Amino acid sequence: MQCPWCYIGKRKFEAGAAEFAQQGGGEVEVEYHSFELSPDTPVEYEGTPVQYLSERKGIALDQVEMMLERVTGIAKDVGLDYDYDHVHQTNTVISHELIHFAKSKGRQLEMKERLLKAYFINGEHVGRIPDLVAIAVELGYDEAEVTEALESHRFLADVKADVALAQEYGIQGVPFFVIDGKYGVSGAQEASAFANVLAQVASERDAS
Amino acid sequence: MDAATKPLLIIGSQDAAVCEGDFCEIPEHHTQAQVNRQLDADLV
Repeated sequence: MQCPWCYIGKRKFEAGAAEFAQQGGGEVEVEYHSFELSPDTPVEYEGTPVQYLSERKGIALDQVEMMLERVTGIAKDVGLDYDYDHVHQTNTVISHELIHFAKSKGRQLEMKERLLKAYFINGEHVGRIPDLVAIAVELGYDEAEVTEALESHRFLADVKADVALAQEYGIQGVPFFVIDGKYGVSGAQEASAFANVLAQVASERDAS
Repeated sequence: MDAATKPLLIIGSQDAAVCEGDFCEIPEHHTQAQVNRQLDADLV
């Protein structure tokens, strides 16, 4: 959720999948899995992402600012207007629970995109239940139902199961793409790389 | 699927950008590509 390369990688993957479809490869079915980068981050972290990274990594504030400026520039290249001046650094585990809630309704992709936009572009808080409920209600979900789901942490076990699966696979960083349960593609690759992998998987399926 | 018994075959570029822990690397080629674009636009 807070990984800048994940939103960039999502756009690149989508472009690769579109390229694959244009070449007659067909539609690609996508499912997102949870991965927590820093599960010990407090929900109510008061500082900025620059302060957070500087404190956590022992890097000078100006160096972190330069790093985020570079990431923001790269995001712009794929049409994403990151706004780090208004990003709320937080613990995102409940937003992952919300994605699983949406998945249970068959609407996971829509929620994933909306939450990434909330965090990186809109400056919305994605750690607090009331803020997440507001986002869900905006998408048409029932307020009482989503509030109950998040307050009871009904989907926390699903989040933890995803994290455990990633550990089994040996995944240490994100974005990470598991394709056909067989291939692993690490990082925000170029769109053409994703198109090539999808074409390879499709040809193997055709041959079997 | 049982991930432990069916390891993934890792493919694609090995230097694509990833976040590990709370640190997100910016590979060199991204930085150079940005500088190139700025040069093209006469911004440097």
